[in-house]
Amino acid sequence: MSMVMARRRARLESVLAAQVAAVAPAQTAALEIDELRLYPVREPVSGRAWTVVRVRTRSGVVGYGECARASSDDLAAAQRFWAGRPATSYASALADSPLAGAIDMALLDIVGKASKAPVYRLLGGPTRSKARAFASISGAGGAGTAAGVKDAIEAGYRAVGLPVPAPAARNQGQAYQLELRKLVETVRSQAADFVLEGEGLLTPGDAASVGAAIQSLHPLWFDEPTTIGSLETLRKIADESVAPLGFGRDIRHAGVFQDLLRAGSLDVARPDILHFGITGSRRIAALAETYYVAVAPRHEGGPIATAAALHLAASLPNFFIQHIPLPAAGEDRAMRAQLAGGDLERVKDGFASLPNGPGLGITVNEAVLEKYHAA
Amino acid sequence: MQRRGFLALGGTGLAWAAGGGRRPADLCGCALAPQPAGSNAFGGLRSGVTISGLKVFGVSLTRDSDRPYVFVKIETDQGVVGWGEGTLEGKAGAVMACVNDFHDFLIGADPMQVEHLWQSMYVQSFYRAGPVMGSAISGIDQALWDIRGKILGMPVYKLLGGPIDARGVRGYYHTNASTRDELAKLRETAIQQGVSCFKSGIPGYYEWIETDAKIRRAVASLEMMREGLGPDIDIAIDFHAKTSPSVAQILVKEVEPLNLLFIEEPCPPENVAAMAKIARHSTTPIATGERLVASYGCRELIEMGAIDILQTDINHVGGVTGLWKAASLAGISGVSMAPHACEGPIGGLATLHVDAALPNFLVQEICGQVRPSAQDKIWEEWLGFPAMRMVDGRFPLRDRPGLGFDLSEASLAKYPFGGTRPMARAFHEDGSVAEW
Repeated sequence: MSMVMARRRARLESVLAAQVAAVAPAQTAALEIDELRLYPVREPVSGRAWTVVRVRTRSGVVGYGECARASSDDLAAAQRFWAGRPATSYASALADSPLAGAIDMALLDIVGKASKAPVYRLLGGPTRSKARAFASISGAGGAGTAAGVKDAIEAGYRAVGLPVPAPAARNQGQAYQLELRKLVETVRSQAADFVLEGEGLLTPGDAASVGAAIQSLHPLWFDEPTTIGSLETLRKIADESVAPLGFGRDIRHAGVFQDLLRAGSLDVARPDILHFGITGSRRIAALAETYYVAVAPRHEGGPIATAAALHLAASLPNFFIQHIPLPAAGEDRAMRAQLAGGDLERVKDGFASLPNGPGLGITVNEAVLEKYHAA
Repeated sequence: MQRRGFLALGGTGLAWAAGGGRRPADLCGCALAPQPAGSNAFGGLRSGVTISGLKVFGVSLTRDSDRPYVFVKIETDQGVVGWGEGTLEGKAGAVMACVNDFHDFLIGADPMQVEHLWQSMYVQSFYRAGPVMGSAISGIDQALWDIRGKILGMPVYKLLGGPIDARGVRGYYHTNASTRDELAKLRETAIQQGVSCFKSGIPGYYEWIETDAKIRRAVASLEMMREGLGPDIDIAIDFHAKTSPSVAQILVKEVEPLNLLFIEEPCPPENVAAMAKIARHSTTPIATGERLVASYGCRELIEMGAIDILQTDINHVGGVTGLWKAASLAGISGVSMAPHACEGPIGGLATLHVDAALPNFLVQEICGQVRPSAQDKIWEEWLGFPAMRMVDGRFPLRDRPGLGFDLSEASLAKYPFGGTRPMARAFHEDGSVAEW
């Protein structure tokens, strides 16, 4: 064999090897689910609680997700359904199970690890290189609000969630509006954008008045202006101001988003990531996209769900901003950082970076799950 | 080669892009200054795979075919290639040209960012939908999913969260059996082969308003079908938009006792309120959607509660990405999916991957009959297996990465592009234009 031929052969072989490596199936055959485990956890100071679900495959690949509360009966039902099913069949999820959102995250974590890709790549992303984020501030009024905003800005945020003052009665007068305006000025004076968080505390009439009063102050949106009762009530609030409205807190069925969108009452769709998981939120985002409406998933859980939310953000075209829980106490922050790594929830210039390892791209410290177990 | 041919034919639309990304000065003042590609933002987040080639093939099974297949092949610098299909009946040349319009955009892009590329192709094309661009994007999108599956080492249905049913994807064949004997024989074959559903067209052409005789004949033909096939085989009837809403509303009401699986396209697709009016007159499930582009195109039908079943076609709706999204919004309102498939084998196979991962999937079409045809033989010759043939009433799912097949350019060469041909035309007795 001549030198030239040998060289050509070697080059051909290297190309073929690269092709074979690129198309060789990963270890997907061994992705049958073996065991599900629950870890209820709680931040030590704030008391914010959530449940971590760990899914393990027969081959030993482990994935994590988060949901709200789940009982041992829920776990047993989920275990019966999933045992022996492949992790890739994550779209089969039992929508009614309180564990559904967590299992969806955990299975995508596993599929990503098996195919050596971050979840956002599995889902066709990245559609963006970083995710805009906001943190809600606590501290009712005056100096408390100012300190909360300062804290969030020092943590890297450029937008905050500003809770409305707690209403004293069913019908608020002018004093309430003035108090609200002062709170907004506190945020503005520190050059931060804000989401006005109604938290469902206001009556529809008060919500409409607040919406009209703050519309010219340009909140990013008015979140949960009132509890979702009748669609017509919400439509009236939407009609009486041009402030964008966000809903999601009480929504447990995606059909409610369809109803709100049809009525023209929704500007920011806020699927709860602990309930809908990544896949359910993606379906709601696909619906919202056809109404030219953005998605900003709700998230009141821990750092695993933050990772899931960031992958979700990078897989969506119509993602706008992600809420990241920012506890006031240093001890709570340390717990979150120890649980899934300190970089994950770090925000810089208003944006969080995408976790970039396979699956959810985080390493979960199970000792922390045990330490902060919520009995 | 292909592309140069198109430029020579089609003028100089790509010239500015080829000349280093500089636009000519625009006279209306509305063009953006050239910007660095948004993909610069992704830097280290790129997968490391890059699109290096785009080819489009017109494939005519017969020289005068009115529906040549449009196949898209995307090549990457890693040697992995992907295939997709953007066949659009009667408009093959236009789709091929539209695929080529995306050439400069795609070369150098990261094929794994399929959602991002889809958005860019659709949104930044400014005019958004339309069946020609929808089909071009569909072909490109399928090829990108084929590549991503191969790179990630998984069949596309697994990436999408399937299979929900490991036995495969339930399907139906077409039939034109209409006599008692033919129907009895079809029933026997169906039971032998495990096929659980058939679709047939409604016979004849229909005027704006129809006579008593014509309506009775139509209803009788469907009654005969139910009688011949029995109560345990599902029957779908395609009106093919041959009927006006005024005629369709009578028919959907009168065939209610037959419990059909669905009635398809009882009127043309543009007017959703007309479709909703028909649907409100009957409990017979109404299906439509094969002519719709992107999830945007399906919104109103679902929002108005006009349909029970959505039939978007993976070759027009926007590929795997478009079909999954359309199915997602359908699912939220409890609408089932029965995707249309009446073109080539690539789109057919691609649609099975999406079907397998849809919680709201009902049944998959294939425009073929229980007995394999010459077309089925050609598909098998191309792909090495009987694509889109059912086993026990289901399309099997192959456990191979990507869309799960290999195809060589050489095997297509036997069926060169015979040019774009107009679709068949039907006329009424007085010479006026009829829907078919």
